Amino acid sequence: MAQSVETAAAPAHAPNGGSHVRPINLFPRPTASTGLASWLTTVDHKRIGLLYAGFAAFFFLLGGVEALLIRTQLMVPNNNFISAHFYSELFTMHGTTMIFLAVMPLNAAFFNLLIPLQIGARDVAFPRLNAFSLWTFVGGAIMLNAGWFLKSGLPAIGWFGYAPLSSKLFSPNLSTDLWTIGLQTLGVSSIVASLNFIVTIVNLRAPGLTMMRLPVFTWMALITSFLLILALPAIAIALLGVIFDRHFGTSFYEVSNGGQPIVWQHLFWVFGHPEVYILILPPMGYVSEILPTFARKPLFGYPLVVFSGATIGFIGFGVWSHHMFTTGLGTMATASFALATMAIAVPTGVKIFNWIGTLWGGQLQLRTPMMFALGFIWMFMLGGFSGIMHSAAPADSQQQDSYFVVAHFHYVLIGGATFGLLAAIQFWFPKFFGRMIPEFWGKLSFWIIFTGFNLTFFPMHFLGLNGMPRRTWTYDGNMGWNEGNFLSTMGAYTLGLGIATYVVVAIWSYFRGAPASRDPWDARTLEWSLPSPVPEYNFASLPSVEARDSWWHDKAMARARGVTGEITPDTDRPAGDIHMPDASWYPLLTTFGLTWMMLAFAPLHEPVVWFGVSLFSSHLPLVIMGLGIMLAGAYLWALEGPGGYHLRIEGPGRIRTLRGEHHE
Amino acid sequence: MVSRSCFFFRRLFSSLAPLSWLPAALLLLPLAGCGWANLGGHQSTLDVAGPVAESQRSVFLVTVWVTLFIFVVVGAVLAYAMIKFRARGRLRAADALPGQDHGNPWIEVGLILASVGLLAIIAVPTMRAIWYTYDVPEAERKDALEVVATGYQWWFKFEYPTEKIALPAGGEGPLVTGNELVVPAGRAVRVQLRTTDVIHSFWVPKLAGKVDMIPNRPNFLWFKATAPGYFYGQCAEFCGESHAIMRFRVIALAPADYAAWLATQKLPARATSGTPRELAQIVPLQPADPAADRGGIRAASPAFEADPLAGWKRQQELPAQEDADLIARGRALFQTKTCIGCHVVRGHEGVGIAGPDLTHVGSRTTIAAGVLANTPERMFQWVRDPAVFKPGNKMVHGGYIEPKTGRRLVTLDAQEITALVAYLQHLK
Repeated sequence: MAQSVETAAAPAHAPNGGSHVRPINLFPRPTASTGLASWLTTVDHKRIGLLYAGFAAFFFLLGGVEALLIRTQLMVPNNNFISAHFYSELFTMHGTTMIFLAVMPLNAAFFNLLIPLQIGARDVAFPRLNAFSLWTFVGGAIMLNAGWFLKSGLPAIGWFGYAPLSSKLFSPNLSTDLWTIGLQTLGVSSIVASLNFIVTIVNLRAPGLTMMRLPVFTWMALITSFLLILALPAIAIALLGVIFDRHFGTSFYEVSNGGQPIVWQHLFWVFGHPEVYILILPPMGYVSEILPTFARKPLFGYPLVVFSGATIGFIGFGVWSHHMFTTGLGTMATASFALATMAIAVPTGVKIFNWIGTLWGGQLQLRTPMMFALGFIWMFMLGGFSGIMHSAAPADSQQQDSYFVVAHFHYVLIGGATFGLLAAIQFWFPKFFGRMIPEFWGKLSFWIIFTGFNLTFFPMHFLGLNGMPRRTWTYDGNMGWNEGNFLSTMGAYTLGLGIATYVVVAIWSYFRGAPASRDPWDARTLEWSLPSPVPEYNFASLPSVEARDSWWHDKAMARARGVTGEITPDTDRPAGDIHMPDASWYPLLTTFGLTWMMLAFAPLHEPVVWFGVSLFSSHLPLVIMGLGIMLAGAYLWALEGPGGYHLRIEGPGRIRTLRGEHHE
Repeated sequence: MVSRSCFFFRRLFSSLAPLSWLPAALLLLPLAGCGWANLGGHQSTLDVAGPVAESQRSVFLVTVWVTLFIFVVVGAVLAYAMIKFRARGRLRAADALPGQDHGNPWIEVGLILASVGLLAIIAVPTMRAIWYTYDVPEAERKDALEVVATGYQWWFKFEYPTEKIALPAGGEGPLVTGNELVVPAGRAVRVQLRTTDVIHSFWVPKLAGKVDMIPNRPNFLWFKATAPGYFYGQCAEFCGESHAIMRFRVIALAPADYAAWLATQKLPARATSGTPRELAQIVPLQPADPAADRGGIRAASPAFEADPLAGWKRQQELPAQEDADLIARGRALFQTKTCIGCHVVRGHEGVGIAGPDLTHVGSRTTIAAGVLANTPERMFQWVRDPAVFKPGNKMVHGGYIEPKTGRRLVTLDAQEITALVAYLQHLK
């Protein structure tokens, strides 16, 4: 019995596989469970999730500081607080950072933390590949941010990197090369991670957990993963064009040879628009978990919430040109994309209706996660309305590239995605850190963030309608924009204060918060049946699922049987030894080679000069070295053997690690 | 200011005048005197001055009304649910549960159909406006003025292909001007959009929404100014370091005024007869430090701001007296200091085309692409420190300084700049 369940949980690690292939122990698998090496080599989805979250939180704060510098420059007209070039660098990095290095990896953190727990699995399907995704993300982040420490500075072409501004002629600096390869590398990370999650969700669900019993968050993660593997190739191809134009003199976007810069825009937005849903669908998932918990009611219209998520993902691939209404598409194309864009409002509206339906007739408990979730609904709704306004193409020709658009997507991406993430952090914090965040301070941070956010971005609607363009280093004092900008800057400082409060409270709670019980919110999905924090093996024995909201169902059944007090799940009782995947150095080594290769590729045609000594006439030898390390890493990884060890739970708090022993 | 500031709300509610006072009062109450909600600025998309922008605004107002309706209904339900169903006190897991309903297909289907219906209200005027705003209506096409606008990092060149002028090298070419597009009011204008470098975007909010200037892609837009006026425009697509200061103006004139302006512009540059004054005898201008503009206005004086079109007309007038010797020194310097390499002064020495045509630069109300008021002091500041006002511009990098080596090619002292300014200012 136990054997079959374990095989289902970790098919990549058949217990006896090691005896068939002689493992190569260049870097032996580490066995320590604490210390730096254990984190660098971890394959535990929870640790990987926390690492994603940590890096993402750092970049979220960095992106926030960039935003505050931008807002300070715009506080008064004709300001000279920062230079025009630094301003361009800042908004380029603010956009790139917030999208690729903050919101996406924060979502990836929750994918890692929650998916295996919500589907009743021991880990993701490919734990070492999961580590590779993490470290490749870090490698890409280093490439994008290397400019902080380089003479060439940061990229200054906007997060959208429109050709031909991104060409060697107009942006000859190394930072633009680093930007292209950084995004390319992040794409590798995301595609690998998405394939991992898709396989995990499709194959590793606990017995009885049918697709229509899947928690909505996991559903949204599945849809998001599909969007990623379908959308990222578009930008990969587009970036390859830029890279070839810059390094090898091709003419994909090179105007003088008949290249078409407009092609970049199409390819970029074929990726860029689904990307919007990649950012927002997971937060829709968090909210769909949080609202039922604090309303003590099932999600209203579960099948429609799931189906509308899939519909959004599907139509999301057919609306990209609404980012290009001002590029002279012609009447028919403009009309088609306008109608498709309006159509996408319907499934989005369905979600909002269903969230309200969930609240209706419930017993709403306005705890901190619920405050952020309700804030999400309100703010996302406002962002949705300005989105509908953009779908009317003639109106959009006035709003495109104005502050009205800036207001719109910040309502969607802060009021929506970020509020959803802040709600999720509040909600799952007790589960992964075993500590509660104090209610008062959590709510205080909510109100400061809520006030600051609206103060910052609501006036931007008016600035945009009053003709203020985006990406504006400065403006003149007679345009009627002074008050709006000043207010917005004050709001930005308030928002910054709110985020600082939130972070400080979270750090305090990590050390001093009240201990969290197994199920502090009386929640619904399987992760809440586990102790807080979750043990490394997740479930002592794997669950079997009988209904949607499985843990809620189990609790209701137990109470119907007359159980009072705390309910412990069946999965607490071990059913034999637990097979665990081994840590490995090779994902990190492979990423190291990849990062080396990419970093050496950026200045390809520059000579290699170290400490005044000219080593090579170009960076090609270094690129080949990096490629060699990467291939060696992947090769040794393949030959490493499946590894694995066993945990024997001998009683409460007594767990024995079994290595190389025979076990049954 | 207050009368202008809540423009949007007055406009919004004037379209539903009989019913408007109640919600208008409710919304306007917190916004009374709302500087931050100012919607009547120079680049307002709502205080429009032509049929194209009017059409775009009317579609926008439809979307505002529809979404406002949805917001009021959905928001009211959401707010009601949040208040009505709020639990009293902290609940325990064992407390009785509310009704555990899982959804209602009929409510869902009803709401989906209602959403589709509301979107149809937006879709119909959207479709109509897409076709209307795309190109000049058939009936007006013959009478439309053709103009070519070309984006440069970071200024606009305007050409009138139907207005021919004699070229210095022989033959004829279109009339060329820079950063201020003068058009007849009441006539459709069809603007061909071109670029020489990266993507720019042509946007005069009061006249029409923007259309991008994309390399290897011949775009166009059209607009019509209903009445004479002075309109602000700006590049709306990020085009590099000084994107924010790539601005321009559109001046719409009554037909007679337009014809008069055209006649003057087609003439070669004015000539005065003077002997170049010795530099030592020139009393230099002493303009303010540009840093003092922080928080202030660069492109217009209060007098100009009061009536921009009258200000533009004042700018066309010749001054009562001019210092011919100083102008002659300036003209000589324009040549020796290599200004001629990038700028044309038709009839004089200048032949370059990398920078704006300066044949009639004195008649423009702004310099440096709509950034600075065209006064001697501002022009002095601009010629002395172009990088302060427009970082990265070619007048410094490529003009004054050799890009690769950083070697200083052009040096100008205060006397020389004063003479150059006098020369340029006299080019009315």
